[in-house]
Amino acid sequence: MSVVESTTKIYEGSRIPSPIPTVLQVDPAKHALDDILTINFGPNHPSTHGVLRLVVDLDGEHVAGIAAVIGYLHTGFEKTMEQKTWWKCITYPERIDYVSFQVNELAFVLAIEKLLAIEVPQKATWMRMLLSELTRVHSHLVWLGTSALELGAISMFWYTFDDRDATLDLFEMVCGTRMHTRYFQAGGLAEDIPEGFFDQAREWCKKMPKAIDEYEAILDRNAIWLKRTKGIGLLSADDAIALGQSGPVLRASGVNWDLRKNMPYLAYDEVSFDVPVYPEGDVYARYKVHMNEMRESVRIVSQCLDRLAEMRGEPWIADDRKVVLPPRHELHTSMESLIHHFKIVTEGYVVPEGEVYSCVESPRGEFGVYVVSDGGPKPWRVKFRAPSFVALQATATCMTDAAIADMIAVVGSLDGVMGEVDR
Amino acid sequence: MALARKLPLISDRPLAKAGLSSERVLMPNKGPGVFEEEIDGIEDALGITTVEKAVAWAQANSMWPDTFGLACCAIEMMSIVSSRYDISRFGMERFSSSPRQADLLIVSGRVTHKMAGPLRQVYDQMLEPKWVIAMGACASSGGMFNNYTVLQGVDKIVPVDVHVPGCPPRPEALMEGIVRLHEKIKAGVPPAYQIRGVDQ
Amino acid sequence: MGYEAVPGLVETVAGHGETTLVVDAARIVEACTHLRDEQGFNFLSDLTPTDYLGWGGRGVSGYIGTRAGRDLHAPGTQGLARVPVPKPKRFAVNYHLLRLADDPVRVRVQAWLDDGEEIDTVVPVWPTADWFEREAWDMFGIVFRGHPNLARILMEDDWEGHPLRKDYPIGGEPVRFSGEE
Repeated sequence: MSVVESTTKIYEGSRIPSPIPTVLQVDPAKHALDDILTINFGPNHPSTHGVLRLVVDLDGEHVAGIAAVIGYLHTGFEKTMEQKTWWKCITYPERIDYVSFQVNELAFVLAIEKLLAIEVPQKATWMRMLLSELTRVHSHLVWLGTSALELGAISMFWYTFDDRDATLDLFEMVCGTRMHTRYFQAGGLAEDIPEGFFDQAREWCKKMPKAIDEYEAILDRNAIWLKRTKGIGLLSADDAIALGQSGPVLRASGVNWDLRKNMPYLAYDEVSFDVPVYPEGDVYARYKVHMNEMRESVRIVSQCLDRLAEMRGEPWIADDRKVVLPPRHELHTSMESLIHHFKIVTEGYVVPEGEVYSCVESPRGEFGVYVVSDGGPKPWRVKFRAPSFVALQATATCMTDAAIADMIAVVGSLDGVMGEVDR
Repeated sequence: MALARKLPLISDRPLAKAGLSSERVLMPNKGPGVFEEEIDGIEDALGITTVEKAVAWAQANSMWPDTFGLACCAIEMMSIVSSRYDISRFGMERFSSSPRQADLLIVSGRVTHKMAGPLRQVYDQMLEPKWVIAMGACASSGGMFNNYTVLQGVDKIVPVDVHVPGCPPRPEALMEGIVRLHEKIKAGVPPAYQIRGVDQ
Repeated sequence: MGYEAVPGLVETVAGHGETTLVVDAARIVEACTHLRDEQGFNFLSDLTPTDYLGWGGRGVSGYIGTRAGRDLHAPGTQGLARVPVPKPKRFAVNYHLLRLADDPVRVRVQAWLDDGEEIDTVVPVWPTADWFEREAWDMFGIVFRGHPNLARILMEDDWEGHPLRKDYPIGGEPVRFSGEE
């Protein structure tokens, strides 16, 4: 199936507002000024997925104008990371998209490894893939729980968060902590995979598809859910590409584009999985894409478990002593190991001069990291290309001709995480 | 025909001492209402010696948090509502989006200078008594972000009762913080704004 | 894949499996329109400037540290292995493009600017550039001529200064320890 299918058009032409593509402006010809009520959504609002502020012009229930104000969570990641050594920097990207934390770490670590031109052992690659897919399921579960909660399907929150806790148990077992795991290093993984992990992960693989079926049983044919999501928030394929959308939003508009399949990284070309694509371009299509992606992620996790079971005893991190800490038992016997350990921990390793753009398929789309190194122990410039930053730009286009209740559905379906948007 | 009972203007009954102005105080010639007569016996029935204790027990066991989720800690705050950790055991599952109906502000996540204004506005809209939990390292002290944009601790702008460490704190850690707050209240410790002497 | 026809092309740099097209900043819109229409780069992934003020100033490491000295507690004072390649101007505006098609290709377009120089907006070419250029203005102070709404996006509207510039301080507060005098 080619990337952009010329199927039936979702709407004619382009709905991107003009002159400002991200702001829907009140049409002065159609509305007398005293009909318009300007209200403020957020930044503290239960349904805005964090600190998003939307300034909405209402004509009754109809949204005549919308503009997003962001920056309430601008943490200065990029500038702060310029002050830290490469190793210490790895803790920062996780907190950018705090729902899919390991994927952000992965993108940054891949960028460092590209610059270092270091070879990562197979075991680390497959484990990274497994954890990325677990993170994808975690992110989609949080998305489903909160989006359904906002549209009134309140019980979904408890169902999805229970399964989310089961997923976080797996993270805790491997990485030591539930969130912000900091398990990836430049060169591989921080530690070996514990033995009990495989059994518990297989239990999870058996349980998850049934759980996803349960969620669909609750929502798929629910009249209220269908009324609130079908035909809402339309985005055509051309508009989506022009607006830089990626991930589920793009795939729900009929574009068959997934970085894991089209530009594979890690070992995604060695596992078999499908990419769900829906042509309708509405909130319901995005919901279906998320649900099916969860199923595909479980498939990938099972395949990774099979492969990792054969790799017991293999190294989990590269052997380059200039970058990777030596194994602890060597510190007692080898002077060079002791010196390397000391230098890597105190001063940090250096990354050769260069610039790279490394991107991965995060649960929200294309998460990219642009790293510039001057050959020193600290990054010169780090820029995160956050998919939610771009997704929020599409709010104005999706909200053409919509009511205020639809705004909640649309903003939820674009799956924005404000930590990513503001960085 | 009005009752001819002569009652003192300031009643020496415990409810009035705690500041409750009943109709009898405002209309001295009126007899006690039904509620008053029922409450009269309740103290003996429950064995509560002081009204303050009863009030503190009620406040602690039905505290409504405000939905002030900012960043990563918000996700762990949401998970205390979930079935595994279940904050509803402590009477707190009703998160209030309106600060007017909230008792507790759990500041979960990094607060930037841009967000500091809305945070203070939300805090001001809450009615007394109100408590603040600074959840996580970022809310307590700025966390790992010591830079131009992150407020180095929300206790610079709101008085904080309990700081919960962690990045993010586990749900159990947050619940420990909440339980300690409940114990503080039941022990009679006034809310932080009274201790700090913050102007309301 | 030939990029010779790109208008305003100054040089092509290859490294780490990536291609960077250095383009004259005055002809950026022409170059981007050519890449989008003639070579199918329909997707703008990222638009970001980099500030190269002080590039290479860290000094090359000698036997022990740089000429400016060495401090064990300040990582990086041991210097660089070699002098990094000097940059032509202060700011580089990078456009990361993707051809979203059956034969996907990524390319980076780079335009160099000095402090105070302006560059044309590419919002007419890819609407997604809107917020990226606003962020570039907010963080670096680079003016994009013709942008429909060049206002601050991440910092407050009345913020002074452009935080990601190298001469802007990191800010924050010195950490105080309990028991300190």
